[in-house]
Amino acid sequence: MTGMETRRSPGGDGRMSVEQIEHALGRLRMNEDGTLGLRASVLNLIVVTDEESAGDVTRSVSNIAGRYPSRAILLISDPEGEPDVNVQLSAFCSVRGGVGGHVCAEQITIHAEGGPAGHLESLAGPLLVSDLPVFLWYPGPFSPDSPEFAGMATLADRIILDSAAADEWAISLTQIAALLERDETPAVGDLQWVQLSPWRSLVAELFSLPERTGELERLRSVEILYAPDGECRALLFTGWLASTLGWGLIDVTETDDGRALRFDGPSGGVSVEMSPASSDARFRQVRLYSDDYGFEVARTHDLSEARTTVTRGGETLAERTVHLGAFDLGVLLGEELSYRGRDGVYEAALSVAVKVVNP
Amino acid sequence: MADSLQAEGLKNILHDEQRLPRVPEPGAMVIFGASGDLTRRKLIPALYDLAAQRRLPMEFAVVGISRSELSHEEFRKRLRGALEEHRPGEVSGDVWESFSRGIFYLPGDSKEAETYEELKGFLRELDRERGTEGNRIFYLSSSPSLFSTIVERLGEAGMNREEDGAYSRLVVEKPFGRDLGSARELNEDIQRFFEEHQIYRIDHYLGKDTVQNILALRFSNGIFEPIWNQHYVDHVQITVAEDIGVGTRGAFYEEAGALRDIVQNHVMQVLCLTAMEPPVTFDAESVREEKVKVLKAVRPVSEDEVDLHAVRGQYERGWVFGEEVSEYREEEDVAPDSCTETYVALKVFVDNWRWAGVPFYIRAGKRLPKKATEIAIQFKPTPHTPFAHGETAGLEPNVLVVRIQPEEGISLKIGAKVPGAGFEVSSVNMDLLYGTAFLEEAPDAYQRLLLDLMLGDPTLFIRADEAEGAWEILQPVMRAWSGSGEIPSYPAGTWGPDEADELLGRDGREWRRP
Repeated sequence: MTGMETRRSPGGDGRMSVEQIEHALGRLRMNEDGTLGLRASVLNLIVVTDEESAGDVTRSVSNIAGRYPSRAILLISDPEGEPDVNVQLSAFCSVRGGVGGHVCAEQITIHAEGGPAGHLESLAGPLLVSDLPVFLWYPGPFSPDSPEFAGMATLADRIILDSAAADEWAISLTQIAALLERDETPAVGDLQWVQLSPWRSLVAELFSLPERTGELERLRSVEILYAPDGECRALLFTGWLASTLGWGLIDVTETDDGRALRFDGPSGGVSVEMSPASSDARFRQVRLYSDDYGFEVARTHDLSEARTTVTRGGETLAERTVHLGAFDLGVLLGEELSYRGRDGVYEAALSVAVKVVNP
Repeated sequence: MADSLQAEGLKNILHDEQRLPRVPEPGAMVIFGASGDLTRRKLIPALYDLAAQRRLPMEFAVVGISRSELSHEEFRKRLRGALEEHRPGEVSGDVWESFSRGIFYLPGDSKEAETYEELKGFLRELDRERGTEGNRIFYLSSSPSLFSTIVERLGEAGMNREEDGAYSRLVVEKPFGRDLGSARELNEDIQRFFEEHQIYRIDHYLGKDTVQNILALRFSNGIFEPIWNQHYVDHVQITVAEDIGVGTRGAFYEEAGALRDIVQNHVMQVLCLTAMEPPVTFDAESVREEKVKVLKAVRPVSEDEVDLHAVRGQYERGWVFGEEVSEYREEEDVAPDSCTETYVALKVFVDNWRWAGVPFYIRAGKRLPKKATEIAIQFKPTPHTPFAHGETAGLEPNVLVVRIQPEEGISLKIGAKVPGAGFEVSSVNMDLLYGTAFLEEAPDAYQRLLLDLMLGDPTLFIRADEAEGAWEILQPVMRAWSGSGEIPSYPAGTWGPDEADELLGRDGREWRRP
C-alpha cells in the first residue's frame, strides 16, 4: 500500500525564525506512534507565486513529491501590503505498508508583504537544504528585469518559467532570450517547451527509416494547428524545426487568424502555416510535406493519444497510435526537474521564435 | 546546416538530442513458443507498454511461432484477452489496435526446416510492407529442450547472418542448461551459428531496478569502497528468501530445485555484483568482465568436502504468517518421496586480493518466514574498546545491510551511547530506505531488458562464460547431492534446517534474521 499523506502545522504559524521552522518541520515528520519519519530530499524547489495560484502549485508540488522528494519553499509576495512575514509548514509523507514507515517531503509557505516582499532571496536562502541543487520556478508571469527576480536567480541552479503564462507571451519569449544572453543567468527551462517533447519525439521518429531521413532536407511546407492560446508553443515547435534543420527566416506574414512564415531551407524555400483550431488542445496537429511524402502527427478523438502517419502519393505507408503522455502541471514540472544544465536545443528554437515575433 | 546534414549522411538530426528518448531501429521480433505463458504474461504486455510510451519504432513487428493452429487475428485476440485480464480498464483500444497490427502468427513445428523457410519469406515480406529493415530478434521462449534445434534451423536457413548493416539477435531464456556439461553444450550449439555479440541470455532478475541499484550504491558512493574488502569485512551473508511454496510449478521445481532455480542465476548474480571490482566503464564488456572475474575467483570445493560447505533442505508442513501450509512432498506434481531441495545454504570464498579469507554465506529457500533479498556486510569488531566490558554488553560489530526487497534501502548498525549517566554503549540500526524515498514505480524488468535488447545493449544480459562459471562453482555440489537419497527438512515458516545453522556455527558465527 502506497499513498501520500499531507500534514500541516495547525493554522498560520506566523513569523518564525529559521531554527523554529526547522524544528517545527521535524515535528511534522513525527508519526502518531512517536517514531520520526525520514526526510528525503533530492533538490530544493523555490516557487514564486501569488495567492490565487498557490493552491494549484501546492498540489503540483505534492504530486511530484513521490518522484522528486524535495524541500519546497513557496513564496507568495505582495509588495503593496503592510510589512509582514507569515510562515506555514506542511509535509507530504509517503504511507506504506510493511516496515517502510514514513518518508516525508516538506513545504514551507511564506507570505511576504511590504518590504520583505522585495527581498525574497533573504527569506528563501537560509531555508535551502545544503548540498542539493536549487530549482526556481515561476508558474505565472515573471519580470526578469526586476531586482526581485535577479536576487532570486542568484540562488538558483535552474530557473523554470512558463513563456505562455502571461497574455503577452511574445514579450515573455523575448525576455527569456535576453535573460539567456546574460553571463550570470543559470540554466532556464520553459514549461511550454517541455510539453512539446512527445510531439518532437513523434515527429523525429517519422524520419527514422533511412529512406525517409533524406526527406528532412526536402521538406517544402509545414502546417501546424493549435488552440487560440497555443501559439507560443506552436512557434517554439517551428523554431525547433527551423533551427535543427538549418532553415533561415525570410519573412513573416500575419494572416487572418494565424501566421505564414517563409524559410530558406537546404534545398529551397519552406513555408510554415500556423493556424488556430479548436480550443480543446493547445497543440493539435502537425503536417509536414516534402515533394513525395506527407508526414502527420495529430491528436485522436481521445486527446491523450496521437496518431502518426506517413503517406506517399495518397498511399498510407505507416500508421500508429500512441499515448501522448500526461500534461498536468506536476508532470511538466517533474520533467523539468529531471533536466540539468543549459538546453541548447531549446535556446536555438527560442531564438528563431523571437525572430518571428520581432521581425 | 544543410552541409552538416549531408556530412552526417542519413542521420536523423531531429532525434539527436538528450531530451528525447532513444528509440530502437526498426525490426521484427520472432517469438518461439509464442502460445506459452511468458509471451502472454510478460513479453506482450512489456512490448505494448513500450509502444504506448513511444519507445518502439513505428516499423516494428512481432511474429509468434508455435504448433497451435491459430490465425493472426486469433493470436492477437488471445493476447489482448490476456492483457485485459492482467490490467482491466488500462488498455487503450486505439493503441492496442495500432500495436496489434504489427503482431503476426505462424503455426509451425520449430523442429521442421520448412517452418524456417516460411518464416524467412514472411520476414522478408514484413521488411517490404512494414519497413522492418532486415533487423531480427529471435526469442527462445519455448521448452529449453528445443533451444539447440531452433538455433540450428535458424542457422541452416541463414537467418543468423547479419547482412547489409542489419542485425540478427538471439534471446535465450534461463535456464541456461541444467549443469555445467549441458550449459557448455548449449553454448556450443548456439555459438556454432551465432556469435557471442548476437546472443542475449536473459535473466529478468538483472532487469530489476533494485538489483541494478547494488551497482549504483557501490560505485557511486565513495564512502563504501575503501572498507569493502578483507581488511574491514569479517564475512558477508546473502539471503534470497521466499515465503511462498512451489505453487503450481511443482513439475518444473522437481527437475530444478533451489540450486538451479535460484542459486545458479539470481544468487550468483548478487554475489558477483557484491564482490566485483569497479568496472572501468558501465558498458557491457567491462561490467561482465568484472563479474566473470569473481566467478573465476570462487574457490572450488571438492566433491567429498561438499558437506562442509553446502547444506540443503526441504520444507515440511508448518505455519507461515498465520497460515498453515503443506509440506513440499504434498504439493501438486511433486513426488511423495522427492529429494528435491527447496533450501540451499553455501559457504564460498572469493580468492582474490580484495576478499581473501572472507567467507560469503549464501542461502536461498522457499517457505521461509518472509520474503527478503539482502546482502549483509558484517564488519570486523573494533581492534580495541576503551570501554569496560559491562558498558559494551549491547554493542555488536557494524553491519551494513543492502536490502534489495521488499523495502529497498540500506541499514547500518552502529554503536552509540545510551542516554544517561555512565558510558553505556549499545548498537543502533540506522535505516535509509531509499526505495521509499522515490515512490514512483520502477519499470517492469522485461520492459527494461527488451528495450536494451532492441537498442543492442547487452550489459544486463548474461555472457556465455558467466553462465558456465556459475555452473562450474555448483557442479561438485550437484554431483554430491545427486547420489544421496536423504535430505534434511525444516518446518515451513522457519529459517531452514538445523544443518544450516551448524554451517555457520562451526565458524563461530550465526545467520542474521532479515
